[in-house]
Amino acid sequence: MAAAAARSGAAPGRGDGAGGDFCRSLLKFIHVLLCGCCPRCGIFVGGGQGSLVPLYSPKHTFLLAAANKKVLFRIVVPLPPAQSNVFIHTTGHLGASGPLTQVRWSRYNPQFLEPEVNKELFQKSSDELSEEEKAKQELKAVRPIKAAPSSVCSSVFSDPMISKFTNMMMKDGNKVLARSLMAQTLEAIKRKQLEKYHQAPEDEKEKIECNPYVIFHEALKNCQPIIGLCSITKGGKTYQVPVPLKDNRKRFLAMKWLITECRENKHRRTLMPEKLSQELLQAFNNEGPIIKKKHVLHKMAEANRAYAHFRWW
Amino acid sequence: MLRSVKGLVCHTPKLDHGHALHTTAKDWLSSTVSQDVRILAERSRAIFRTSENDPANHAEHHEGCHYSIPLQEVKAVFPHGLPSPFQQQIKTFNEACLMVRKPALELFAYLKSSSFAHPAIRYVIYGEKGTGKTMTLCHVVHYCARQGWLVLHIPDAHLWVKNCRELMQSSYNKERLDQPLQASFWLKNFKTTNERFLKEIKTQQKYAWGKRESTEEGRPLGEVVEQGLARVRNASDAVGVVLKEIKQQCHLGSFRLLVAVDGVNALWGKTTLRKEDKSPVSPEELTLVYNLRKMVRNDWNGGAIVTTLSQTGSLFKPSSAYLPHELLGKEGFDALDPFVPIRVSNYSPQEFESCYHYYLDRKWLQHEKARTAEGRDELRFLSGANPRQLQRLAGPL
Repeated sequence: MAAAAARSGAAPGRGDGAGGDFCRSLLKFIHVLLCGCCPRCGIFVGGGQGSLVPLYSPKHTFLLAAANKKVLFRIVVPLPPAQSNVFIHTTGHLGASGPLTQVRWSRYNPQFLEPEVNKELFQKSSDELSEEEKAKQELKAVRPIKAAPSSVCSSVFSDPMISKFTNMMMKDGNKVLARSLMAQTLEAIKRKQLEKYHQAPEDEKEKIECNPYVIFHEALKNCQPIIGLCSITKGGKTYQVPVPLKDNRKRFLAMKWLITECRENKHRRTLMPEKLSQELLQAFNNEGPIIKKKHVLHKMAEANRAYAHFRWW
Repeated sequence: MLRSVKGLVCHTPKLDHGHALHTTAKDWLSSTVSQDVRILAERSRAIFRTSENDPANHAEHHEGCHYSIPLQEVKAVFPHGLPSPFQQQIKTFNEACLMVRKPALELFAYLKSSSFAHPAIRYVIYGEKGTGKTMTLCHVVHYCARQGWLVLHIPDAHLWVKNCRELMQSSYNKERLDQPLQASFWLKNFKTTNERFLKEIKTQQKYAWGKRESTEEGRPLGEVVEQGLARVRNASDAVGVVLKEIKQQCHLGSFRLLVAVDGVNALWGKTTLRKEDKSPVSPEELTLVYNLRKMVRNDWNGGAIVTTLSQTGSLFKPSSAYLPHELLGKEGFDALDPFVPIRVSNYSPQEFESCYHYYLDRKWLQHEKARTAEGRDELRFLSGANPRQLQRLAGPL
């Protein structure tokens, strides 16, 4: 079944020759069965066994999926901008080489709704729900719902920021270790603060914060930079241009600095919970190396104020 | 949510707003307010705390309550007995609080009613992992220490059969092996616990430690201990001598002896130690284990033997094993037979509530959701009312 046939479509001027050349060049490195229609230019790439999900992308990218709709490969097909229909037949064997990139990616239909993990919402009676919540509930009856990712938790103690931080601390996918390190860090913070609390005189007891979650959030907030720098090349030279940061980027930078600082600039034999708890407590009190780093970044941005007009977004 | 008593009592002066009030009226007001506060506090404390600090007076109505041991007593009675998470807890909370539970009360009843003219009864505390066997043993040790018994507490027999850096051939018996570090460490802690007995008990024969060193007959046992601590080479033999003397003199009735061994299944299992020719060492070839086995036999009277089975530090035992026959093996079971088995299980609902309220009171549960009913139910579900799991879960919260 190694024959490759290319049938050119409606467009005049492009005969079999172009399609055929293209097919043969494709065949050199793809041995897969494709079928689908590129929505941008309407080229239909037909085949047999697999099915293609067309992508709305600038390149003519196709996903090859097996019969069970599981996506196996993504193929960037540099099709000529002609209205030619290309059929590529294959041998039964799937060979991966050339522009084939393996990807596991599910893209939901925009109709799908997010799953609701918060138990409290379901325990409320219908009178307590606000208008939008009632509308959402009614929508759920008619729309399909996405599958909840395995990291989302319905526990009352779960915190998305802590989960994100744990994921960033994780190495080689060892989530068990990362989670236990996070738990030990929170416990270490709590122990240090409680010891201080019990030894403090009465009037100072209220000022000592013992909740490790409050300390964590406050410390991260203190570490977030307000303004960042972006390298922009203009006229052959690269300038560091001050640029406003998005919330996500700020949170990411704060967490990244915290983890890098603990990993690199500490004594080899101290354990991560010990180092992290120390850094978090320092950041909570607005002191320590990470706050300094943030201030350095702010100063650099202030110094490069003159280039701010280079930014075009 | 009721805050701790100290906080409430301190705030009462601020409650009487009337600075212009007459002094006597102010005093009357503050006294009634503090009385109310005290009554409220007592009622709440009654749920999870008791002021009865002597284990001898603990009865069924104290079940589920925490009683506190003064920190001086902790240092004297438990130089080495408490599990390390509990030691950390003592340091953080600044107090040592133990929960009164049914197995311990059962043991107290047996100890109170047993006749010391009969051979020593062996009690084996068993149960699944993390249910509180070691803490029950510590409760019993505290009770006996308060009663004035001589307590022979081996905190973890597993430490004697694994990870030994120095293994020397015993000078007393060529076939046996000495463990100087473990023996000297244990002797130091034994000395801290039983200072006064070491002066009272006298040796009944002469012991020669080497060519020039010996302990005469009639010398106090403290000298043997000093010898063991000073000459670490002879520490294991010193331990053997101490155990032998105590066992011989126990039936005379001048003191009661409690042999408390945690992880007694280590004495009859396998070891991970090897001799110099790489052949494995069996437990009876170790001096310490050999002498301890003699101690755990019921051929003496005037005391009791309370032991605990432990899978946690054990060697070559599956993690689901907790029953006596599984952990002791045939040899150990036959050696310990007959014994009184005491089962320790997970927290009952009342005990769980008590533990939860204790953590809240000590500000250990800091998460704002931990105070709600959903948080409590979630903790109960996740821990399965297992004391160790609850303690590990409550750590980061």
